[in-house]
Amino acid sequence: MMWVFVTLISHYRRHPGQALTMGLGLISGVALWVAVQLINDHARSSYADADQLLGAEARYWIRSDNGLGIAVPDYIGLRRAGFDPLYPVIETQVRDAQGRSVAIIATDLLALPVGNGLGSSARYSNPFGASSWLALIQPDYQAWYPQSLATQLGIEAGQRLILASGERLPPALIQTQTQQGQRVFMDIAAAMAILGTDTFSYLGVGQLSEPEQLRLAALLPATLTLVTNHQALDLAQVTESLHTHLTALGLLSFAVGLFIVFNAVRFSLLARQGTLTTLREMGISLGMLSIAIIAESLLWSLFGTSLGLVMGYALSQLLLPAMATSLQSLYAAELGTLIGIRPTQVLLAFGLSLAGVVLALTLPLWLRARASIRRQRDTTAQWQLDQRGIRWMALVAMGLLGLAATLYPWLASIEQGFLILALVMFGGALLLPWLVLSLIEACARLLPKQQWLLRWAVSDALAQLPHLRIALMALLLTLTANIGVTTLVGSFRTALGDWLETRLAADIYVQVKSLDQEAIKRAPWLRGYSPRIGLDLRWQDRPTSIRGLDLNGPDTLGMVLAQDQGMPDQQVQDQALQAWRLGDGPVIPILANEQVRYLAHTPLGSMIELPTSAGLRRFEIIGYVHDYGNSSLAFYLPSETVMAHWPAAELLGAGLWLTEPSAQIDPDWLSNHLSALGIKPGQWVLQGEIKRISFAIFDRTFAITATLNTLTLLVAGLSLLTALLAVHQQRLPEYAHWRSMGVNFNQWLQIVALPLLLMLAVTLLLSLPLGFSLSWLLINKLNVIAFGWTMPLLWSWWPLAKLGILTLGIVLTTLTVSVVRVRQTLPTAIQQLAGDSG
Amino acid sequence: MLTFSAISKTYYQPDGDIQVLRQADLHLPAGQTAALLGESGCGKSTLLHLAAGLDQPDSGQIMINDQCASDFNDGQWNHLRRETLSLVFQQYHLVPTLSVLDNLLLQARLADRLNPTLQQHLIDKLGLAPLLGRLPHQLSGGQQQRVAIGRVLMHQPRLILADEPTGNLDEATSHSVMELLTNLLKDTGSSLLMVTHSPAMASYMDRQWLLQAGRITPVLARDT
Repeated sequence: MMWVFVTLISHYRRHPGQALTMGLGLISGVALWVAVQLINDHARSSYADADQLLGAEARYWIRSDNGLGIAVPDYIGLRRAGFDPLYPVIETQVRDAQGRSVAIIATDLLALPVGNGLGSSARYSNPFGASSWLALIQPDYQAWYPQSLATQLGIEAGQRLILASGERLPPALIQTQTQQGQRVFMDIAAAMAILGTDTFSYLGVGQLSEPEQLRLAALLPATLTLVTNHQALDLAQVTESLHTHLTALGLLSFAVGLFIVFNAVRFSLLARQGTLTTLREMGISLGMLSIAIIAESLLWSLFGTSLGLVMGYALSQLLLPAMATSLQSLYAAELGTLIGIRPTQVLLAFGLSLAGVVLALTLPLWLRARASIRRQRDTTAQWQLDQRGIRWMALVAMGLLGLAATLYPWLASIEQGFLILALVMFGGALLLPWLVLSLIEACARLLPKQQWLLRWAVSDALAQLPHLRIALMALLLTLTANIGVTTLVGSFRTALGDWLETRLAADIYVQVKSLDQEAIKRAPWLRGYSPRIGLDLRWQDRPTSIRGLDLNGPDTLGMVLAQDQGMPDQQVQDQALQAWRLGDGPVIPILANEQVRYLAHTPLGSMIELPTSAGLRRFEIIGYVHDYGNSSLAFYLPSETVMAHWPAAELLGAGLWLTEPSAQIDPDWLSNHLSALGIKPGQWVLQGEIKRISFAIFDRTFAITATLNTLTLLVAGLSLLTALLAVHQQRLPEYAHWRSMGVNFNQWLQIVALPLLLMLAVTLLLSLPLGFSLSWLLINKLNVIAFGWTMPLLWSWWPLAKLGILTLGIVLTTLTVSVVRVRQTLPTAIQQLAGDSG
Repeated sequence: MLTFSAISKTYYQPDGDIQVLRQADLHLPAGQTAALLGESGCGKSTLLHLAAGLDQPDSGQIMINDQCASDFNDGQWNHLRRETLSLVFQQYHLVPTLSVLDNLLLQARLADRLNPTLQQHLIDKLGLAPLLGRLPHQLSGGQQQRVAIGRVLMHQPRLILADEPTGNLDEATSHSVMELLTNLLKDTGSSLLMVTHSPAMASYMDRQWLLQAGRITPVLARDT
């Protein structure tokens, strides 16, 4: 047995290049999948850590209705009543000496529930582990900063941040693994002293039985309310779509990697066909050969997984900052800076790569088992057999595409959407070889007999197709994904830009809780003013915003409703908008963001009930507005209507219109004039700046997608290079004989390059309808299901042209490398042409 | 047509050098056929490779068609192989994706030397008419070798170098192929140098040489 294995392995001693390409294929496939997997797992565990922060896994909060916070005696009273799993929290924003906003969160670590709470089975732990927490709660105390915040504030370990009030925060300790958010964490006693407050922002409550919950609610003073904590659920819900997208990309990368493995295994078997047949002729059973090959696969899997894990880890570290920024910007979700690899991830990666190698081996081995020993020497018969296989693949492809079409009408979830996408993509990939084969056969029939060189080149595609088809299928998958995602991103960016243009009509946006409106109206350098009021509540168990708009504000006057399929025409919508402005009657018209329509499944004309200060009140949804980037549901009413139903609604900010274009105004002049109106630096932002920030967030969000797409394309290029090198190496004796007949280099190049370009052209052409189908599904179905956003699908030829040029570049590079290799090895092949017969 | 003058060739191996040709001489006149006999490993194929420019001698001179080919570069050898030489191998080396007809015409097309009369003559003589539309893998070994020989003759080279052309065939088919080859050579006027270890196959040739201990000794010279 051992010598059979050694005989097989000895092949790589003579062909180290083949071992290298096989290793590279395995490693890159595993690395891409591992990187995405690590980032996703890391993000999810970060959410879980964040949930546990300050025992936030606690099921309830106690909050004050009047916004004055919770007095210390109330807290002590509740503890004395036997409610141990209660802990106080201060959460606030302060300004440092340089005017920068700093978020602070503080608690009493000793009060955090540790598992023996009254009637509670919940276990809570110090979220920061054992790391020097004693120093945190003892004078001089400590202020714990996440690494990114410390860098942003320029704080180093041991330094004290000076606040605008002149107070100094405790000495800094920089944390790397905690998920306290972009906030400074400290002991509550220190925070109360520094902030000069004697109330808590809220109380956290651990798990309670139903009777305990009722008893606690009954015991609370009238100004306090027990509310359910939805934080964990919300974060997991809103980020799930993004992670599903990433998982899909990761699986695509792995699928491409799998194709490479399939290719590599196929070539390594093909290159050793002579050896395998000789071993069979010497009486080695197919079973023993299979065991030897599987043992080799295990070795390859171990090698590929080990290095793939290392590479994947490095890649995930490279991609993490972009991902972390996107999650922070979009969902205020914080990721730790250190990614850890768990044993389960290692086992999963090994299992997948092993499954890939074994899967890749199954078909060749099965074919080998079916073929007689004599036929194994006959390579020509094998490509004839391959053509039958291609026709079977086309039948399977038709089945997959048919299944996708059948499932489409029932498409209702992200998972179903990705299943349909996968069916379309793999159906297309399996159809590709048949399309190429049909084209070759058609060309062979149509080309005139005088064009013998061209006919030879076309017919040579038949010999190349069995070797290149897997690489072409991998290339098709990546091209399709690239076109689909590029179109999605392009359409989204255009829609976002258009939306920002209409949504951000004001020159300046201010975020303050109070404004001297009279002074603003009198300011001669302002021509318009539109305040926004609002409050947050929960509706359909989701975070929901109620926003009051100034009917006379230029932005409200120019408001545009979302136009989408199933929506009434413009005239009806204008009438609806007019009714909304009047806003009276037994059922009040209300506008909602698209998320209400698609995420909360509330169609146009629905009667909804919202909790107002006077109890539940009915509203009729008469239109939707685009609200890109918002993960919450939102309703819009005239400000007066909001104030009438929710008197507690606060001023959230305002839009200001300048008499002169903002670009022509000196920033210092503007800052001074705004300060004179009571609007300090940091409380206002120019419209252009918001747009810039929005696009920056957008670009960062899709940077990881673009990176993965490019990497997958490069991996597909590598697959093609592997295939080309292998096919040329295998055909070297053939090329040597062509050379001995007088075929010159240019003729040889035509014969081997034309089929490749022909196959590439078919691949590119097929990737267009597949890519467009993908982008259509992503934009019109998956995006709507995932985020509740609609947008027009916009084709843009320039990104497609760029992709085409990049692909052509990759293919020509691989061709050049393989041609150079042939030129280097051909003289030796010519010398070996006649064998050693004498 | 082909002259070797004092050709030497040594293979340098880690376990000792092997000198396969020692000042070897031979002369094959135009239009004549010759067989090079010898034991396995004596250097017969090496000599053929040197004649085809597939390998270089350590010393000595090779003249082909009155040209000194010893110092030819790769391009000149390629031109010579395209215009003047043809090689026949034991393994046939047909292009598997081309039909029998396209394989038959391939080398003549490369040299731009298509001759419809010769084409029809060779197809008839080789009995390939019913097989022209087939692909190589649909032919027997003897049929494939007939196509390979037809391809070489269609090229009308001045010199054919054949390395065990019947090595893969049974005795009856081997004789049939040799008869065909020698008869057709009379039509084209090509010279033939054939490496073989079969005296039976060598008997079809005008001359027979024996390669032994690196030197070539004539064993038969028949007037033609």
